[in-house]
Amino acid sequence: MPNRIITIAKQTFKAAFNNKGTLALTLLLGLSLCLATYIGWQNYKTQNNQRLHYKELVRKQWLAKPDKHPHRMAHYGYLAFREKHELSFFDFGIESFAGVSIFLEAHKQNTVNFSEAGFSNGMLRFGEISVAMVLQLLVPLLIFFMGYNSISAERESGTLKILLCQDVSWKQLLWGKTLGIIGVCLSIFLPLILLTILLWSSLSHWQISTDSSLRLLMLILSYAVYFFIIAALTVLVSAFARSSKAALITLLACWIFFMVIMPRITQAVGVKIHPSPAKIEFADAIASDISKQGDSHNPDDSHYAAIKDSLLQMYGVDDVKKLPFNYGGYIMAEGEKITSKIYSNHQKTLNKTFEKQNEITTVAGFFNPYLALKHISMALTASDFNTFVDFQNQAEAYRYQLAQKMNKLQIEKISNIAPGENEKPLAISKKNWAEQPDFNYRFGKLHTVISNELLALSALSFWLLTTIFLLQYATRWIKTIS
Amino acid sequence: MKQSIYQLEFKLFFRNSQAWIGIIVLLVTGFAGLYFGKTFIAKQQAVIEKAAVLQKKNTLNNIDHFGKDIGLFFFQNKFSVVNTPDPWSAFANGQRDVNPYLILVTMLGLEGQLYDTDINNPVSLLMGNMDLSFVFIFLFPLVIIAFTYNLLSEQQESGVWSLLKSQTGKSFVIIRRKFSIRVVVIIGVAIILLMVAKFYLNLPVDFTFLAVFALTILYLFFWFAVSFFFISLNKSSNFNASAMVAVWVLICIVIPASLNLFLTRKYPIPEALQNVINQREGYHEKWDMAKEVTMKPFFEHYPQLKKYPFPQKKTFSWFWYYAMQQMGDDQALTSRLAIQHKLESRQHFTQMVALFFPPIQTQLGINKMAGSDLDNHLDFQDAVRKYHEQIRLHFYPNIFLNQGVNDTNIKNYKPEKYIRQQVPSVWINLLSIVLFASILMVISIFNFRKANRF
Repeated sequence: MPNRIITIAKQTFKAAFNNKGTLALTLLLGLSLCLATYIGWQNYKTQNNQRLHYKELVRKQWLAKPDKHPHRMAHYGYLAFREKHELSFFDFGIESFAGVSIFLEAHKQNTVNFSEAGFSNGMLRFGEISVAMVLQLLVPLLIFFMGYNSISAERESGTLKILLCQDVSWKQLLWGKTLGIIGVCLSIFLPLILLTILLWSSLSHWQISTDSSLRLLMLILSYAVYFFIIAALTVLVSAFARSSKAALITLLACWIFFMVIMPRITQAVGVKIHPSPAKIEFADAIASDISKQGDSHNPDDSHYAAIKDSLLQMYGVDDVKKLPFNYGGYIMAEGEKITSKIYSNHQKTLNKTFEKQNEITTVAGFFNPYLALKHISMALTASDFNTFVDFQNQAEAYRYQLAQKMNKLQIEKISNIAPGENEKPLAISKKNWAEQPDFNYRFGKLHTVISNELLALSALSFWLLTTIFLLQYATRWIKTIS
Repeated sequence: MKQSIYQLEFKLFFRNSQAWIGIIVLLVTGFAGLYFGKTFIAKQQAVIEKAAVLQKKNTLNNIDHFGKDIGLFFFQNKFSVVNTPDPWSAFANGQRDVNPYLILVTMLGLEGQLYDTDINNPVSLLMGNMDLSFVFIFLFPLVIIAFTYNLLSEQQESGVWSLLKSQTGKSFVIIRRKFSIRVVVIIGVAIILLMVAKFYLNLPVDFTFLAVFALTILYLFFWFAVSFFFISLNKSSNFNASAMVAVWVLICIVIPASLNLFLTRKYPIPEALQNVINQREGYHEKWDMAKEVTMKPFFEHYPQLKKYPFPQKKTFSWFWYYAMQQMGDDQALTSRLAIQHKLESRQHFTQMVALFFPPIQTQLGINKMAGSDLDNHLDFQDAVRKYHEQIRLHFYPNIFLNQGVNDTNIKNYKPEKYIRQQVPSVWINLLSIVLFASILMVISIFNFRKANRF
């Protein structure tokens, strides 16, 4: 019995390549995939090298700073650059819409600036050609063109009756056709995967981490499942449609609706239902929380007055200048602690809001396999929202640590008695700067990615099971003769 | 007699459920586009109004906290500059989601503040905005394709065509009639949407209105020309549908997306990162240098400020501090101009490319008219530069003479509004689309003539 499925699959595969149109389309897609891989890889290389170059420069400049007051260094701050994941050449995801560099300084949380989109005159909005885009959008189109008449043409030419009379079951026919179409897809997908693996291992200097290999493996698997779903749906539409023409029109309309219109609408609805604050509103909410808890800039603030009193009492002195450590540094450390905690809470809420906005699109994955795969693909190539948030969090943690390190140096090493107006400013040795490590972004591991993307993964699995079920049991509703 | 044939054709067209589905899809997505586009801009407007309230509140707060030290006050106090949305930006949101429409600056170095973005959800930016221009540029062509792909082929496939042809010698006239009915219906829907947009978005009827109107209608004519061309090839319905959708996918997605990738690769902007570094070093390094290093170029830049007494002996003075900040901007000048130059090259490249691809041309043209393109944002940045300069030169004397904050007119300051001065021209955009549509029409008519002869 499986032999028959294979025979049908082989037949479909051969027939597809005998068709000049399909052959041309397949070659075209294969070519554009190779091009997308190459350009994606080049882009990754130039952009990442740029970022690494400036990262090194920033480190060198930090270490080269002369002896000075640690608080000056806290304001000099650090520049962090968002590195790209080695797999991001496969799927650009939100890369072009997310900022690249962030300035980390004391007292202040800055935005991640300089996204590619900010330099675009609008052409970016048409999309970006990446391997993922070709596989997600164009390969389904190829599958539609190959498969829209897979059953309906047999019916129209009358061969369907003959086939079914010859002891071929509907189930075998559907499975055979589906597998045949997938075969054609794989004939361009498999060489591409090999190319990807080759490129990618040369990118990482032939040192492939287990985590990335697993990511790639899952990526390949997800795309294979996606192709299966699309191919099965195509064959089913062809089997149910009144005519080949009706099947083609239905499939094209679906493509347009699910891949062009729906993503925009679901996201717009998400933004509408869960509005996010503008920057000034966000900043204002933080400022009002800070003034409630204690504002070190406010001379009449009760929180800081209480700290001062307790310090004076503890050390038995009547003036902060007589304290055995740098009082200014102590207050700044306290201020940094309060403000950054409040900021982080607000940032967390904001990210929750963004997640809720995005969730509508993720849930829509149960109606639209394209959206489910899109999420999975971005997450696996670390070009998704969660990776961006993770970068922001790591940068903020680094900023906090840097500011507190400088405060600590000030508390311990700077005299509590301020120099006079015309005297030399207080300073500590430049040797201290090396104690502050460089900022290195660490990508999350695969298991966090999976737990983040459970919803999208279950949506794709749901589609897989549904299509298998339909291939197995939908046959009873199909008419043999139109 | 002739009129009644048209009436019958109309009846025939509207009896088809596909026709109604197409029209309803356009109207529903069109209204959705209008709604989401307007909501998007309404939110920006609400934030802009809030900015005025917050600026006042924060200024008073700052006077309360730092009023005793004018240098410190202006170190903290922020001024807002607003890129007021044009009513048309609700029609085409363009890049207004990516680029900030409200920039807050202190009197410190501008290059460190000018590029701060708003807080955005990058996924929403990736998915793109749902506005009416999206419906016009992406969906209308698809409905045009759906309405026309089988205009001739269906007649042939159902066998009506040979019958028709034997009865009348003017088969081309029949095609033309059927075709023009579809043109009238689609253009009618487009006009309805534009009229609804006019009232819903409060668009003034002026040159911009006419220009956008002409641009969208011409763009639709381009697509009619495309479909007319495919009809004239006299192929099967399936071929037409596949080929037309393929053309749509090519010129609405694949080609612009490839060109964009090429553009990013050809004109990368590492200068942006270099600029941040230049500004940061240009300012911070001055702390560890003799005051002369800062003050000499500062006075060269602003000779009019020489008359204020500079406290040479003091370890720290706000005079020196603000001059150091200025050094950050001055030392970032070359990288800033380099960014500008790169952006101009990108703009030039896009304009050249757009000449050959009507969807890109229309999108850029509409964004330009709506004031939601990159050029508008760059002009806005320039306005911020000017305002920042004006504010600094206005308050420098107060700071350098160490006057009281209350002696200044700081309380009168309200958010500065940037409103673009001149409406850009779209003649090139219109012309290139007309040219493409005409070429296709001529070829198609030639094809029909050839087919008729045989």
